[in-house]
Amino acid sequence: MFLTLKWGFSQDAISNSYTKRVLETAEIDLLFSYYDQDGDNAAVTGGEGTEELTDATSSIVVKIPLNPDDVLTVDVGISAYSSASTSNIDPFDKNSSIASPFNASSGASQSDALVHFNPSYQHSSKDRNSVYSVQGYVSSEYDYFSIGFGGGYTRLFNEKNTEISASFQVFLDSWNPQYPIEFRPGFSSQDASGSGTYISSFSAFEDETRNSYSLSLGFAQILTKRMQASIFMDIVSQQGLLSTPHQRVYFGDVNDFFIEDFQLGDNVEQLPDTRFKIPIGARLNYYLNDRVILRSYYRYYSDDWGINAHTTSLEIPIKLSDKFTLYPNYRYYSQTAADYFYEKEAATSNLPFYTSDYDLSAYNAHQYGAGIRYKDIFTSAKVLTFGLKTIDLRFGKYDRNDGLNAYIFSLGTTFVGD
Amino acid sequence: MVLAVFSTSCVAVKEFDKVYLNDEEMMLSAKASERFETNFQIYREAASGANGGKSGGGCGCN
Repeated sequence: MFLTLKWGFSQDAISNSYTKRVLETAEIDLLFSYYDQDGDNAAVTGGEGTEELTDATSSIVVKIPLNPDDVLTVDVGISAYSSASTSNIDPFDKNSSIASPFNASSGASQSDALVHFNPSYQHSSKDRNSVYSVQGYVSSEYDYFSIGFGGGYTRLFNEKNTEISASFQVFLDSWNPQYPIEFRPGFSSQDASGSGTYISSFSAFEDETRNSYSLSLGFAQILTKRMQASIFMDIVSQQGLLSTPHQRVYFGDVNDFFIEDFQLGDNVEQLPDTRFKIPIGARLNYYLNDRVILRSYYRYYSDDWGINAHTTSLEIPIKLSDKFTLYPNYRYYSQTAADYFYEKEAATSNLPFYTSDYDLSAYNAHQYGAGIRYKDIFTSAKVLTFGLKTIDLRFGKYDRNDGLNAYIFSLGTTFVGD
Repeated sequence: MVLAVFSTSCVAVKEFDKVYLNDEEMMLSAKASERFETNFQIYREAASGANGGKSGGGCGCN
């Protein structure tokens, strides 16, 4: 297909004595972020318990021009997190304070690291009106492995005033389920307090794979000398184990059992093995004047689990000088609940599907943030043979009306080769 | 229909008139520096996609 498309559009090529390279020299992006969240609705402990989590991520992205038309990009990174809620997959370690959904445990699931490797290759036609891309993706963490691939095609026409694009992505993922400790062989509930005998509804998932297929379509148009817009849509289908195997659920129609202050789970969440999502988004950017630009975004999302969501954001880059740009931003998000969401003890044991994951509940969220960018087009500061082109520093504060709050710092630097 | 309106109602802007449109801040996609914010939003929110980011893969389970 790649060869067919390439042949088909090669006849449009305009013969120029000089064609600007797609990427002049090699670029290296060094990226870092620190994320911190807290809340009281942990899904691991059935919708009630600490959601305290910190995550530090670093990535390096290398872009290499192979020739005037082709660019190879390699993106590798590692994300290390520490989570109080996942530590309570096993809350009964002997080294911590009394077992409780609001206390972190010191077990093995307290922390993990995700590593990713994401190579991509992009080819542009000589007239720069066609762009082809292919990409791969591999990521791994202790209980989850993901491998994916994709490709895309972009076509510009109308004197590069109009752009259409289509791309696809496939992810073939697999779980290594870490079930809550009370559901594992060998666990003794003889110390549990409660009425009767503790018997859970748990049985292990048979299918431990999760496949995701997505098709993305985009359309972008220059509207005036100062304004341009785009519309884009994804069609996403997921199949397989869409439940998270370590997220407990407590039923309202069975007796409760406790060890110390920790309630033993009645089951793990049960969600359908298919999900179909359609997000549709739009951007509108306006160059107000030489100091101020308006960047706006809206997205409507719908899926067949009953969730509808709206996202809108506005960023206003303000050019303070030739080198410094300040960009305050605001984002609003709201969603309805999944059909299968129940608060703790609200689900009953006869239901086919249930979850107490508050990420699938109805809520709204506000995110306030700001960033500052330093840009030196002359790359006068050098590290070895690379010149410093940009430094981006961003901060965001995220507040959900169910009590979850978070903040994130991110830092990005771009170096270019001589 | 939206596409038709967009593509027929606008006068084509010539390359030499695109100085404002070519400003880096006018880019019609999420910025590279937003990737980490997009990543945590994908984890914490049910909705994802339609922002040029990854629309699958990864468990989003912590």
